Amino acid sequence: MSAPTQESDAMVTTADPGVGTDAPRGLPFWANPRFGLLVVIVVLVIVFTSLRSSFLNTSLTLVPMQQDVSVFLVVGLAQLCVLSLGHMNLAVPRMAAISAFAMGWCYQHLSVPLWLGLLIGLVVGAAVGALAGWIITATGVNSFIVTLALDFALVGLVSLLYSHVGDGVAFPVHPAGMTALRNDTFSDYCAGNICGPPVPLIVPIALVAALLVAVLFRLARVGREMLMTGSNLRAARLSGIPTSRRIIQAHALSGALAALAGFLLAVNSGAFSADIGNSFLLPSFLGPVLGGTLLSGGAVSILGTVLGAALTEVIRTGLNLLNFSVQDLNIYIGLVLLVALSLDRVRHVLAERRGTRA
Amino acid sequence: MRITRSLRRHGVIVTAAVLTVALVATGCTKKSDQSAAGGQSVSPAKVKIAYVPGGPHPYFQPWKTAMNQAKTDFGLGGVTFNETSGWDQTKQNSVLQSLAAQGYNAFGVFGVSPDNINSTFQQLESKKLMVASLGSCPAGNTDSAAFCLATDVETAAYKAAQTAIQAMGGSGNLVHLTGNKTDSNTQRRIAGVKRAVSESGGKVKLLQTVTDIDVDLQSAQKAVADLLGAKGKQINGIVNTAYNPAVASAAAVKKSGLPIKVVAIDDDPTILGGIKDGSVTATVVQNPVGQAYIGGYALMKLEGGCTMNTPGVIVDSGSFVVTKPNVATYDAQRQAQTKQLKADFDSKYLSCK
Repeated sequence: MSAPTQESDAMVTTADPGVGTDAPRGLPFWANPRFGLLVVIVVLVIVFTSLRSSFLNTSLTLVPMQQDVSVFLVVGLAQLCVLSLGHMNLAVPRMAAISAFAMGWCYQHLSVPLWLGLLIGLVVGAAVGALAGWIITATGVNSFIVTLALDFALVGLVSLLYSHVGDGVAFPVHPAGMTALRNDTFSDYCAGNICGPPVPLIVPIALVAALLVAVLFRLARVGREMLMTGSNLRAARLSGIPTSRRIIQAHALSGALAALAGFLLAVNSGAFSADIGNSFLLPSFLGPVLGGTLLSGGAVSILGTVLGAALTEVIRTGLNLLNFSVQDLNIYIGLVLLVALSLDRVRHVLAERRGTRA
Repeated sequence: MRITRSLRRHGVIVTAAVLTVALVATGCTKKSDQSAAGGQSVSPAKVKIAYVPGGPHPYFQPWKTAMNQAKTDFGLGGVTFNETSGWDQTKQNSVLQSLAAQGYNAFGVFGVSPDNINSTFQQLESKKLMVASLGSCPAGNTDSAAFCLATDVETAAYKAAQTAIQAMGGSGNLVHLTGNKTDSNTQRRIAGVKRAVSESGGKVKLLQTVTDIDVDLQSAQKAVADLLGAKGKQINGIVNTAYNPAVASAAAVKKSGLPIKVVAIDDDPTILGGIKDGSVTATVVQNPVGQAYIGGYALMKLEGGCTMNTPGVIVDSGSFVVTKPNVATYDAQRQAQTKQLKADFDSKYLSCK
């Protein structure tokens, strides 16, 4: 019952930041799941700030948070692309790792500029993603199995590549611009006396990626056909949609975005190393699913993914500032997420009832 | 038509965003960089030190008592121990920033990823925070922290392999059990073991190096059981350079009754028990107490206005081979090493006006 609602909801919220008017007809504006997430984030920010004023410390809290959210937003988008088909990409971590290897190798041995290395990484990521998509369409095996197997294969490959072709376990190279991308915010750049906001330089990269994915799913025919493929494969095929091609394209896009996430993480952490991507799997699902993207396919929400990634980072940073121990931290992250999702569901049910009565 | 119009509108937004970024990045002038850490003088009572290991691990537990001892002995303003990084460099970076936001001004860090940790150190130092690399040094030849106080892992692995080879009678098949292959410290340990094996002049063969089994005790136990099942009778010695495989192999060899010489690492009660009953030949113990205690002392001195004679110097915190004869007395040797380290920092590494 909820799928069509979610779908129409998602279709209209992908690109527009102004979500207030985007709730399904007959439901109040607060019925939009994105609005609920925003409220939870605002409430948590107020709670954490009142408990620890350092939560609003620009250089030590807000800037690092934006950097982390940027990485996890792109990781979430990588998963979202295949979730649109009702597929899963369990190889997101290793697609990021193999692309990071390619980028690091090019920077180290070919001394390519930063943008060219990134481009090469994106191509490698897209190629690995397309391979996953092709195997899924050619064999008909479930995406879960294919990407799980691919992830295992890539774990070994990445390790082998670093030990035989690479220089041990990482490329310590810093191409021109990488340090600035890591350390600088727009407030470091001034025109006369006017300096930019305290936003890290990598944030626009993630936002442009989100905007492009939003444009794809909201406006481009290819994106809509991907969603239709995810919604009902048979119906899509009977409607003349080249479903196999769309599946391969969605997986290729997922691979390219995983590569971008790997690049952003390497920039953030300072090296192209073999452990890039190790922590990507759970966040790749967390952001989109919290934001309202359906695991069953056919509906995506980019704005929701942005908010989902932001919510998890707010919770983690807040609990870090409150000095939770390692066991408590995980329990409370789980609890806060559960409460946030439950409240969101309660709000949605209430809104639906109200809408029905109206 | 509607879609085309919308596409155009969104295309304009994307172009505007890209142009804004390009303009800001190229058209503006950059503010001058902040000055590096150091120079200011802070009294010990205002020094707050955060000890941040890479994640939860038994190795770091002695840091807690050592840091409290340092707080009392040196009159520090505060100490804290935070192991919530969970072996994830991104999380460790957030933990460090959070601690800085809470007012901690000095950090003893065991970096999750030795390849990335220099960037983290540089970022902290750019915010005028003092950083020491404790327990593990950054990969490569550069250390961006004020100093690195850690076990020389290659030497420790070399000593362990030498001890195992000696116990094997100078010939036979050796197996090396260790941790995460993508950690450069593991690569150093592998190099140390290989050096000892190559010095045997071909009499000792390194049968296998098993990596990635220090995640937890269960995975180590499974790997050791598989190893003994497949090659148990060919193996003459096992050298461990990670905690979980050490505990697992000590127990498994004892249970199997195979005549394998086991050299372990660290001083877990199981391992010390094994040395006492003869099932473990030797263990190489490290000096985590010295790392935390002396690390805290040096950080306090640096906050007080002292400077490092050689910034980023690597100091070996010591490793000791423990066998049956010295199992009861090795701690005295370790305490003496800690005292010596303090004297060395005062006389060799620190320059105080």
